[in-house]
Amino acid sequence: MSGTNSNAAASGVIERVWKPLAARSRSKRALLLMLPLVVFELLIFVAPFLILLRISLSEAGERGTAYAEGTWSTDAYADVLTGEVAREVITHSFTIGLIATAIAVVTGLLYAYAIWRADGFTKSLLLFSVVLPLLTTLVVKTYAFRPLLSPTGTLNSLLESIGLLSTPLEIVPGLAGAIVGQVYIVLPYAVLAIYSVLATMDWQLVEAARDLGASRPRSVLEVVVPQAMPGIIVATVISFAWSVGSYAAPFLLGDNVTFAMRVEGQILRDFQWPTATALSVVMIGAMLVVIAALVTILSRFGGEMEYA
Amino acid sequence: MSEIELSGLEKRYGDELAVEDVSVTIEDGELLCLLGPSGSGKSTTLRMIAGLTSPTDGGVHIGEDDVTDRPAYDRTTATVFQDWALFPHKTVLENVAFGLRMRSVSKDERRERAREMLERVEMAEHADDNPTNLSGGQKQRVALARSLAVNPDVLLLDEPLSNLDKRLREDMQIELREIHEDLEKTFVHVTHDQNEAFTLADRIGIMADGELIQVGDPHEVYENPKNRFIEGFLGDTNFVDGEVAETTADAVVVETELGQNIVLPTDDSDALAVGESVTASLRPEVLSIGGSADPVDANRTDVAAADGGTTNEIVGTVENVIYRGSTVRYSVAVNGSSVFVERTVADSGAFDAGDDIRIRWDGADVLAFREDGTRVDL
Repeated sequence: MSGTNSNAAASGVIERVWKPLAARSRSKRALLLMLPLVVFELLIFVAPFLILLRISLSEAGERGTAYAEGTWSTDAYADVLTGEVAREVITHSFTIGLIATAIAVVTGLLYAYAIWRADGFTKSLLLFSVVLPLLTTLVVKTYAFRPLLSPTGTLNSLLESIGLLSTPLEIVPGLAGAIVGQVYIVLPYAVLAIYSVLATMDWQLVEAARDLGASRPRSVLEVVVPQAMPGIIVATVISFAWSVGSYAAPFLLGDNVTFAMRVEGQILRDFQWPTATALSVVMIGAMLVVIAALVTILSRFGGEMEYA
Repeated sequence: MSEIELSGLEKRYGDELAVEDVSVTIEDGELLCLLGPSGSGKSTTLRMIAGLTSPTDGGVHIGEDDVTDRPAYDRTTATVFQDWALFPHKTVLENVAFGLRMRSVSKDERRERAREMLERVEMAEHADDNPTNLSGGQKQRVALARSLAVNPDVLLLDEPLSNLDKRLREDMQIELREIHEDLEKTFVHVTHDQNEAFTLADRIGIMADGELIQVGDPHEVYENPKNRFIEGFLGDTNFVDGEVAETTADAVVVETELGQNIVLPTDDSDALAVGESVTASLRPEVLSIGGSADPVDANRTDVAAADGGTTNEIVGTVENVIYRGSTVRYSVAVNGSSVFVERTVADSGAFDAGDDIRIRWDGADVLAFREDGTRVDL
């Protein structure tokens, strides 16, 4: 008797979730097609995240253990939110994230525009140049910046030999080096995201703008940028999420600790899992907020350009 | 003053010659139609006037100014594009006000002027709509309002009506004509539709293979085409190939593929030599038809002959009858070739497929062309 009741209750819950979903996605078949993706997300993202959340709410472990199983505590969060080191790490991560994103998206837009306007061999060459770095492993191409940008590296020797510099530039290791490396990693994705949208755009719109009196830069700003905004948003989200969580570039080329490096250290070296996981949770929350803000701001430009 | 002068205009894409040596003066306040099949260079010519394509050679003058090297945004022209090119992320009103905003007109003034323009094209109630939700005809009106809002000296129209259905296209042709008369601006209108050109144009410029072949008023280019291409392009005609069999003082006798000779009256007996290939153009409107039972008189003196013309006559069999709405077209087999004749529906119905009919015309109404397409001056 009670078995049937709980069955009915369960199917009632399913119905309540299913019906609005089915209505919004037009057909049940679409939802069925989504099912593998939902299962995948649950297994690969949601489940581990819940475990991570649980660990972050545990007490620190005894000597030699990562955390105290079965205990509840918010000490780790207090640590992260009040600790000086954690604040520095978070600030540093966001600094790299924002600067690298700004550079990658602006450069990506210009580069994508160049690909869009080129034709024939030039277009293929430009596209190929974007894809090429993706064929090399991240560590190798990032590491390659060290001999290139270090105080005794190629760039500095070159600038010194032609007399432009007397003391070498301290790019690597440093913030600039970390940003150069990170921009190099995310730029291809930013370019491709923006180009994929530009490719569907009608050049005649730009001609119409120029015909009506818009100068070249103005026509790009008025017509190309708003049209490309969906691509710019995707490029921004990819660049930002990746750069804030960057590990390889700041590790190999930087002189400071990002949150990813800090988490790695706490998990593998210090065995402080609750603080490491609490830091991760705080960072995920902060990134979601910043990304939501960025998307909101950018979408405004993609909508109707207000009468300036 | 917004007279446009094109001198030796040429556009080359690699080895491809898109426009070749186009020279014409378009008068102030004139509506010139550039007419030609696709790929004839008419749009490229228009784009060079707009400044959207830069010529490889030659020059463009608008009024007193040499604008050849001026970019599009620095010219007093405005273009209505074939696909209208409305900005999808701006409202209809913002689209129309765009050009004024680029000219730094104050917000209130440009909104007011944009509204006026929308009222003129009867689109005022759509001011706040997204242009992507409009129908083709509505988009066309908005595009027109957007171009007119900047008060250009010259309005350039690049086949703006070709994406509309027939009825709407005809309405818009009349409307464009009215707007042109109202504004007294110079219009250059590109089209591949000869009816549209005849409806709109003060003068028609006919283009083929990148060259401007003939410029003249509609009547002149139709009645007096410079070559065979124009004769064939402007309306339908029957081209009959033949060879000159005999020349007399006032006529040329051509032996044709129809199996019967046709006679072309001429003032110049040296215009064609015996044995020369020649093509006669028998336009359906100069052909009259009658039943084969009609009395045949070799020395008939009918109206045409009385005018001093030469009556020609051929006999054939009706192959099929096609109703084309207001007219009926008879396809007539004559000695293995096909000739078509048209009658209005009112006096049709007399013949059915299989009937034998006679086709008559006045030799003076027929144009003749040499093998290279040039017109024979008869």
